[in-house]
Amino acid sequence: MSGIQVQGSAVSRDVGLWEWFSNPETWTSERGILPSLLDTLTLCAGVMVVAIMIAVPLGASLAHKRKGEITATGVVNIGRALPTFAVAGLLVPISLRQGWGFEPWPIFIALTLLAIPPIYLNTYTAVRQSNSGAVEAARAMGFSERDVLFRVELALGAGLILAGIRIAAVQVVATEPIRAYLGGDGLGRYVRDGLGQNNQTLLIGGAILVAGLATATGLLMGLGERLVLPEGVRRLRVSQSRTV
Amino acid sequence: MIPEILANRNPLLRWDWVVNEWDQIQEALLQHLQLTFLSVLYGLLLSAVLAAFALRYRWALSTVTATTGFLYTIPSVALFGLLVPYTGLSARTAIIALTSYTLLILVTNIVAGFRSVPASVIEAANGMGLSPRRRVLTVELPLALPYIITGLRIATVTTVGLVTVAAIIGQGGLGRLILDGLRRAFWTPMTVGASLSVLLALALDLLIFGAGAAATPWTRRVRR
Repeated sequence: MSGIQVQGSAVSRDVGLWEWFSNPETWTSERGILPSLLDTLTLCAGVMVVAIMIAVPLGASLAHKRKGEITATGVVNIGRALPTFAVAGLLVPISLRQGWGFEPWPIFIALTLLAIPPIYLNTYTAVRQSNSGAVEAARAMGFSERDVLFRVELALGAGLILAGIRIAAVQVVATEPIRAYLGGDGLGRYVRDGLGQNNQTLLIGGAILVAGLATATGLLMGLGERLVLPEGVRRLRVSQSRTV
Repeated sequence: MIPEILANRNPLLRWDWVVNEWDQIQEALLQHLQLTFLSVLYGLLLSAVLAAFALRYRWALSTVTATTGFLYTIPSVALFGLLVPYTGLSARTAIIALTSYTLLILVTNIVAGFRSVPASVIEAANGMGLSPRRRVLTVELPLALPYIITGLRIATVTTVGLVTVAAIIGQGGLGRLILDGLRRAFWTPMTVGASLSVLLALALDLLIFGAGAAATPWTRRVRR
């Protein structure tokens, strides 16, 4: 290797879409699709773990205690009103001042704020609207409050909670590409470079990758739900989501 | 990107810039409003048609839901990117993409609204001799309004946020201030653009909520 750094997305405009996609270099080079994809997936997975750890316990415990009904809708409404790009942008100078750099905290926090509302809402709804007959029966059988929450309310609401996690994950994966405009890379860099260099191959190729990842995330997580949930709980989810 | 040392020195907000560049801020805010308004308006018109089909024909509902659901899943960065080769770096590109994102929310809520009208009310209207058109407009529509207003609020707030992303195709209203500030590591335009877009979303949400409450006075009686 000479001293010149090869930029993964420096592609001639004459290279066609198929040619670009079928070149192994496109995928495996240092700044290729696979490293970028891994970069994106790592960030999104981290965001989802943090969002789930915040939203599920909070939503479940508040709903179990029948508290925070107003907060539930408030959180969701305000969460929706926060433009992720604006939030991440506002966090960039703060992060720089702290010496944390452009990445990953601004986009990480902004995406976490995006992911929390759907998970929180669905967890809250799932626990709040769990079958009251089942809950009372469990109490009468001597279940502790803890067991009522974990073994009845959360168990019966698992479908709705997982659906909330899926919705959040799709939104996170779909929004993460703006990171390319916040001093980062990830899969969104191809669209950014395509627009910046007026290169349609990069632009369309990048857009297909980003859209494909979001679609795949939704489909795979939907499939995962079907595999994880017992038949009975799955049927519950359908009737529940109709009333929500 | 600008070296981080340089970036650190810039203050978050310089009021003299806000005063001097007031015209630019106003223009960005106006474009933001314009893109939001047009996208939601087109979205509402299109959704009304789609919802009418979905309510009339059973097969149409699943098709409409699947299609609008798929559109909703396409990341904004990708959709803007895919449209640019056809419609260029224009407001049209932004509006097409933004409109497509409003459809799922609006159609779902319009359908839910009309479904919520009790069958007895429809029978009563028929019994009173209302024509189907009058029944829909003067009985069903007002009763469906709370759902439609909710949909409109969500669609509008979501659109305000997505407009900022349209900055990547040279549109984007306040998003352009955000992107401009980030690119130059000069934080003032970014702070102004980001704060105003958050405030705009909250203000429009409140405005539509208020208008909805004023249009449906009978729903207020439920509250204690």
